[in-house]
Amino acid sequence: MATELALNVRRRSATPASGTNIRRDHVEVSKLVDIDLCIGCKACEIACKEWNDLPVEPSVNTGSYQTRPDLTPATWDLMIFNEVERDSGDLAWLIKKDSCLHCEEPGCLLACPAPGAVVQYDNGIVDFNQENCIGCRYCIAGCPFDIPRFDEETGKVYKCTMCVDRVSNGLEPACVKSCPTGSIRFGTKEEMVAYGEAKVSKLKARGFEHAMHYDPEGVGGVHMSYVVPHGDMLPDYELPEDPKVPGAYFGTLSGLRKLGSAATWAGALATGIFFLRTGRRRPPPEEEAVAEAYALEERDEAAATTSEPPDADPYGPAGDATPEGGEPG
Amino acid sequence: MTAPAEERTVIVEEHPTVRRYSLGERILHWFVALTFIYLMLSGFALGYPRMSWLYNVLGGGQTVRSLHPIVGVGFTVAVVLMLVVWARDMRLSSVDREWGRRLGTYVRSGHTGLDVGRFNAGQKGYFWYALITGVLLLLTGLPLWFPEIAALGVLRVMRVTHHVLFLLTVAGFIIHVYMSTAMFPGTISSMTSGEVSRAWAAHHHPRWFREHDPRRPDRTEPVYRGDNP
Repeated sequence: MATELALNVRRRSATPASGTNIRRDHVEVSKLVDIDLCIGCKACEIACKEWNDLPVEPSVNTGSYQTRPDLTPATWDLMIFNEVERDSGDLAWLIKKDSCLHCEEPGCLLACPAPGAVVQYDNGIVDFNQENCIGCRYCIAGCPFDIPRFDEETGKVYKCTMCVDRVSNGLEPACVKSCPTGSIRFGTKEEMVAYGEAKVSKLKARGFEHAMHYDPEGVGGVHMSYVVPHGDMLPDYELPEDPKVPGAYFGTLSGLRKLGSAATWAGALATGIFFLRTGRRRPPPEEEAVAEAYALEERDEAAATTSEPPDADPYGPAGDATPEGGEPG
Repeated sequence: MTAPAEERTVIVEEHPTVRRYSLGERILHWFVALTFIYLMLSGFALGYPRMSWLYNVLGGGQTVRSLHPIVGVGFTVAVVLMLVVWARDMRLSSVDREWGRRLGTYVRSGHTGLDVGRFNAGQKGYFWYALITGVLLLLTGLPLWFPEIAALGVLRVMRVTHHVLFLLTVAGFIIHVYMSTAMFPGTISSMTSGEVSRAWAAHHHPRWFREHDPRRPDRTEPVYRGDNP
């Protein structure tokens, strides 16, 4: 059962037919954040910084318990804190772990025009390979969760790797390892779904009637799901209610690519056939061509002297834009 | 009316061809042509995974991503400059309407027999087509250049629109290059030396030819031959 460790590529950005898995089956891994168990200690943030050797960045106090206002190119994991007064008058203290959800249908990968800058492994991890990134930021536009962050200095985009280097060596991601309450869990996707569903039933029994397992279908499911106690307050957690792979957008782009290649080749081919059929159009000998040109002038002059108004002549000089003729240079 | 024989000899010897484009016009055209070719190739690399090998030809993905929009601005500015230079010649006229009616004849035979001026209706049409698509490509490219300031929906629509415009310009480009090289011999020299043969000029642009024929029967002195007359 070590196939989740082997980093078979399922999809590689801007690379047709990039799957490499010939094995009979593969195991998909997943994280699960049980928000019910989270105490907001932010150990995961530190562990992420430490394991990935990311620089500490100056922050600002926004009057919240939150470490910093937003994710940055060097902050791949951030706990989002929101205090919301409920209709009952209770205070809901909402925490969300903000980091890549590793979608089954990754909008970032589908949007990326740089071969191999985004890779999806068979175990479900979606990783950015910055050496292939061209800095176009289309992945940011493709992500339904607003996760990737662009670094001006390196000109590359960064996000959580799900500690792919740890996972491929049989270890859980750093945030999971550091969590003191077991709020962040790691296992196979199946195990996490089973845990999530069981936990939701438990929460419902405890009175959290809107408790839900957040594993949105609009992106094909995710590899970091959440157990959300207040499932009716997703916007307050800053979780999109119905995240979707922008299917119409990617479908249109893909259709345009097919149409574009077909049309370009057809156009080139048609031009070639047209050439074979009609060949080169040489002007007649100089004397003949010149005589014709001056004959046209005489005809126009003759037409102009008749009673007909000049405009009635469809190709008379008076009707043209430049009766005097622009200087051709 | 006709000049004395010895003067005619001088005129004939000094003017084997007709000047069609000034140095400035040719530089402008080649600037547009080269920037367009770069934009088309880098566009194919950016838009078509199977063409991503073009990144390597053009200096790598990062280079392409950073240069494509800058070259694009240069392209559009130059196309707008073309409007400034050629606006007068590109106005449509009644002869152009007739030319449009004879488009089928033109495609079949390469000739309409009309008293065409400096540009025929097809050339004028292509000019306006290139100008409009060029400006729209720049406008739709801006949000792709600075994605962080564009709304997500706008960005997506612009990426699709930019792609459609790209395909339209490529189609125009194929036809333009074919007609000016393979289809009509003697055309490309108008963009290299700036000169065309009298036969070419008289056949394709008779009215313009008569006005600029250096050997016009009633012309008595050689026309000015400086680079930017």
